[in-house]
Amino acid sequence: MKKVLFIILSLALFTACERKIDEYQVEKGFANFTTYIAVGNSLMAGYSDGALYHSGQQYSIPNILAGQFKMAGSGNFVQPVVNSEFGIDYPGATPKLVLGYPVDCRGVVSLGPVPATGALEPVAPVGYQVNNLGIPGAKSFHMLFPGYAQYNPFYARFATSATNMVVQEFAPLNPTFFTMWLGDNDVLLYAITGGVGDTITSPGYFQQAMGGVITYLTNNGAKGVMANIPDVTTIPFFTTIPYNGLVLTASQADSVNMAMQLYGLTDTSRIKPYHAGPNPFLVADPTSPHPMFKLRQMKPGELVLLTVPQDSLKCKGMGIINPETFYPYPIPTQYVLTSDEVNKVMTATTSYNDILAGLAIAYDLGLVDMNTKLKEMQGGIVWDGIKMNTRFVTGGVFSLDGIHLNPRGNAVAANYFIDAVNAKYGSSIPQVNITNYPGVIFP
Amino acid sequence: MLLLVLCLAATTSYGGGYQVGLHSARNIGMGLIGTSLSYDASSLFYNPGGASFVKDKWSFTGGVSFLMARTTFQPLNVKEQTHLEHQINTPLYFYAAYKPTKNLSIGIAVNTPYGNGLSWGKEWKGRYLIQDLSFRAFTFQPTISYKIKDILGIGVGLVYAYGTVDMNKAIPIQGSGGDGTLNINGSTGNFGFNAGIMIHPDKGWSIGIDYRSKIEMSVKGADATFNVPQSMQSNFPDNKVDVMLPLPANLDIGASYDFGKDKQWMIGVNLCYVFWSTYDSLVFDFETKTPAVNRTASPALYMDQLIVRLGAQYKMSDMLTLRIGGYYDPTPVKNDYMNPQTPSMNQIGMTCGVSVYPIKGLSIDAAFLYIMGIERNATYSPDNFAGTYKNAVYSPGIGLTYSF
Repeated sequence: MKKVLFIILSLALFTACERKIDEYQVEKGFANFTTYIAVGNSLMAGYSDGALYHSGQQYSIPNILAGQFKMAGSGNFVQPVVNSEFGIDYPGATPKLVLGYPVDCRGVVSLGPVPATGALEPVAPVGYQVNNLGIPGAKSFHMLFPGYAQYNPFYARFATSATNMVVQEFAPLNPTFFTMWLGDNDVLLYAITGGVGDTITSPGYFQQAMGGVITYLTNNGAKGVMANIPDVTTIPFFTTIPYNGLVLTASQADSVNMAMQLYGLTDTSRIKPYHAGPNPFLVADPTSPHPMFKLRQMKPGELVLLTVPQDSLKCKGMGIINPETFYPYPIPTQYVLTSDEVNKVMTATTSYNDILAGLAIAYDLGLVDMNTKLKEMQGGIVWDGIKMNTRFVTGGVFSLDGIHLNPRGNAVAANYFIDAVNAKYGSSIPQVNITNYPGVIFP
Repeated sequence: MLLLVLCLAATTSYGGGYQVGLHSARNIGMGLIGTSLSYDASSLFYNPGGASFVKDKWSFTGGVSFLMARTTFQPLNVKEQTHLEHQINTPLYFYAAYKPTKNLSIGIAVNTPYGNGLSWGKEWKGRYLIQDLSFRAFTFQPTISYKIKDILGIGVGLVYAYGTVDMNKAIPIQGSGGDGTLNINGSTGNFGFNAGIMIHPDKGWSIGIDYRSKIEMSVKGADATFNVPQSMQSNFPDNKVDVMLPLPANLDIGASYDFGKDKQWMIGVNLCYVFWSTYDSLVFDFETKTPAVNRTASPALYMDQLIVRLGAQYKMSDMLTLRIGGYYDPTPVKNDYMNPQTPSMNQIGMTCGVSVYPIKGLSIDAAFLYIMGIERNATYSPDNFAGTYKNAVYSPGIGLTYSF
C-alpha cells in the first residue's frame, strides 16, 4: 500500500507543475518616459483617409506609442481630440474617404474610395494642453513661425497663444521624452502638387529649421527618437497609376499613329509609335518645339498622381486624343511628376535624410529609418500571417488618400519607433500586436 | 483538410508524435511501451505478431482516457499571453482477440489514435494562421496473428482510418463586422497496414518489432465556407477544397524482460522511429480558383524522430499490479516552422498505473499520464509568427480487461 501512496503523491506532484511562461518584462532603460510628447505633421497627428477624424486620430502613431510607454511609467497622453468621425471643417476640407462603389464615366460601378457623408467639426480651440503636437500640413520651418496658428487650422485647435511658435508649446509641457516625424511636407507638398503647387525647402534652410526644433525639444534634457523621410516612390499616391496605363488595341494604335503623323508629332524622342497593349500617356511639356502641341509621351520612372481626373483619362481622352476635337490631349503637369521633378524630390529627400542622420548623432537621438522600412514594405512583408505591401487599398497599410497610413500601418510604424527607442535607450518597451489594429475596411 | 494537421494537432495533447496514443490503460501505465508485450488483446494494435502469444482463448479490453492539455503562448516582443483552450478529449479503445487454435489469433482493434480539438480563440494574435481545429479519427483494424513455435509470432492487420475535420481561421480582409473567416469541414478515409513480429528468444525475454504504414489521408471536396465583406465575395466564393496529408509510418522496436519470483517484475524499453519527414507541406487546393483563392502549400518540413520509452510492472499480488514508466518524445518540428496549428515541443512523459483484479480474468485498469513540454522559442517563418510555447498534458484513463 505504501507504493499506492507513492503513486498518488507522484500524481499530485505532476499536477502541481503549472505551464507558466515568464511575462514580457518592461524596462525603461536609461530613458525617462514620464512626460511624452509627439512633434510632427499629419503622419504624427493621426490624419488618414484624407481627413483628421475621431477614430483615425485614436490610432495615431503617438497615441499607440503612448499606450506602450505607459507600461514604462509614462503619464497621460492628451491629443487634441476630434469628435467628428468625418473630419475638421476648414476652407477646402472634404470628409474622410471610405471604400464605396463609385460609378465612372462609362457607367461602370467598381470598388473605390468615395467621400463619406457626415458632418465635419468646426475649427475651435480644444481648450487644453496637448501632448500630440502633430500638425497636418506643417513643414520644418513652420514650427518656428510666430503666429502659425493663424495659418494652420489644425494648430489653431490647440495653440496656447495665437502668436506662438509651435516650438514654444514644448517647454510648458516639461517633456522628458519625444518622438518626432517632421520634414516630409518640405518635399511632399511639392510632389503631391505635381511640382507646380509648392516649393521644396532648401537643404540649408531645412537643416537650420530642424536643428532649431530639436534644440527646443532637448533644451531641458528630453530624450527622443525621430523618423526620416520616406521616398515618394514608396507611396501609393504616386505608384498606383502607371506611366504607361494607356491600353490600346492594334487598330486604335494604328489610328493614333496616323493622327500623330497628321499633326506632325513625329519626333520619336518625344513620341514613339503606339502599339497594341500598354502605351505611355501624353503629358504636357512647355519645352516642346512643336508650334501647337506642347507635349510628349511619359517616360519610365515618371509618376502619375492619384488625384489625376480618372474620368478624363477614361472617357475624355486625357493622356492621348480628345474624342470630340480629335486633338492630342496631354495630362496637365500638375498631375504628373516628371523625371526632372522626381530627381528634385529624390535629391531633396536624400539630403534631408543625411541632415536628419547628422542631427540624430549631434543631439544623441534615436533614428527610425522609415525610408528603408517603407522600401522593405514595398517588396512585401508579412507579420502574424498578414501580408502587407505599399499598394493602394490591397496593400493593407496605406489609408485611402494614398499618402497616410491606416491604423494597421500606424501600428507597424509604431513598432519601428519602439525598436528604435529600445535600441537607443536600452529599454524593452513591448511592441504592439498589429492584429489588433484595423486595416482597410471593405464594404 | 488537414487530417494530418489535425493529427499533428493531436500531437499537442499526446506528445511530439501523434501515435503516442492512449490505446490501453495498462500500456499507458508503463510509459506506452507495448511492442514486446502480449498480455491482452491490445497487442492487436501494439504488435500484431504478439497477439498469438496471448494465453487466453478470448481476450477483450476497452477503455477511455480523459485528456486535458494546457498550452501557453507568449508572442515575441509583445506583452500578452494566450492560453490554448483544449476541450477535454476522450480517446477510446476496444480490442477483441480470439484464438481458434493454439497458435492462431484473430481479432479486431478499434481506437481513436488521432482525435483532438484545440482552440486558440477567435481574437488571438495568430488567428490568421488558426483559430480552432477539431478532429476525430477512428481506426478499424481486423488482424490475424500466427505463432510459429513458441519463439516466433507474426501478425498483420489491415488498417482503415476514417476522420472528420473542422477548422476555422480568420482572413485579413476586414469589413465593418471585423475579420473575414474561413471554415473547412470534411471527412475522409483510407487504408494502411500494421505488421509485427514477436520473438521470445529465451526464458523471460521478449522482443517485438512493429511497423505501421503511412496512410495517405486525402480529403476530396471538403466544404470551404468563406465569410468576407460583400464587396469581396466574388474573390472568395464558397468552395470545395482538397487537402492531402500523410499520416507518417512508424517503426517500433521493443524489448522486455520478466524476472523475479513468479515473474513478478517486468521491465521494458521501446524505441519508436517516426517517419515524420513525409510531412513536407500542407496543401490546400481550392476547386473554384480566384486571384485570392487557389492552391496554397504551407511548408511543414517535419523531421524524422526517435522516441525512447521505458516502463516497468510489478505484480504485487493476485489482485494488484502496479506500473510506472516514462519517455522522451523529441519534436519533429523545426524551429522556423512551428505553426500554431500544431504547437509541438520536446516532451517528457511520465506515467503510472494500476490494475485491480476483483475476480479471476477481469481487471480494472487505471493509468495516469503527465506530459511536460519543454519551453520553446520558435517561429512559423512563412507567416512571420514568433513566440514562446510551453505545454502540459494530464490524462487519467480507465479500462476493463476480460480474458478467459
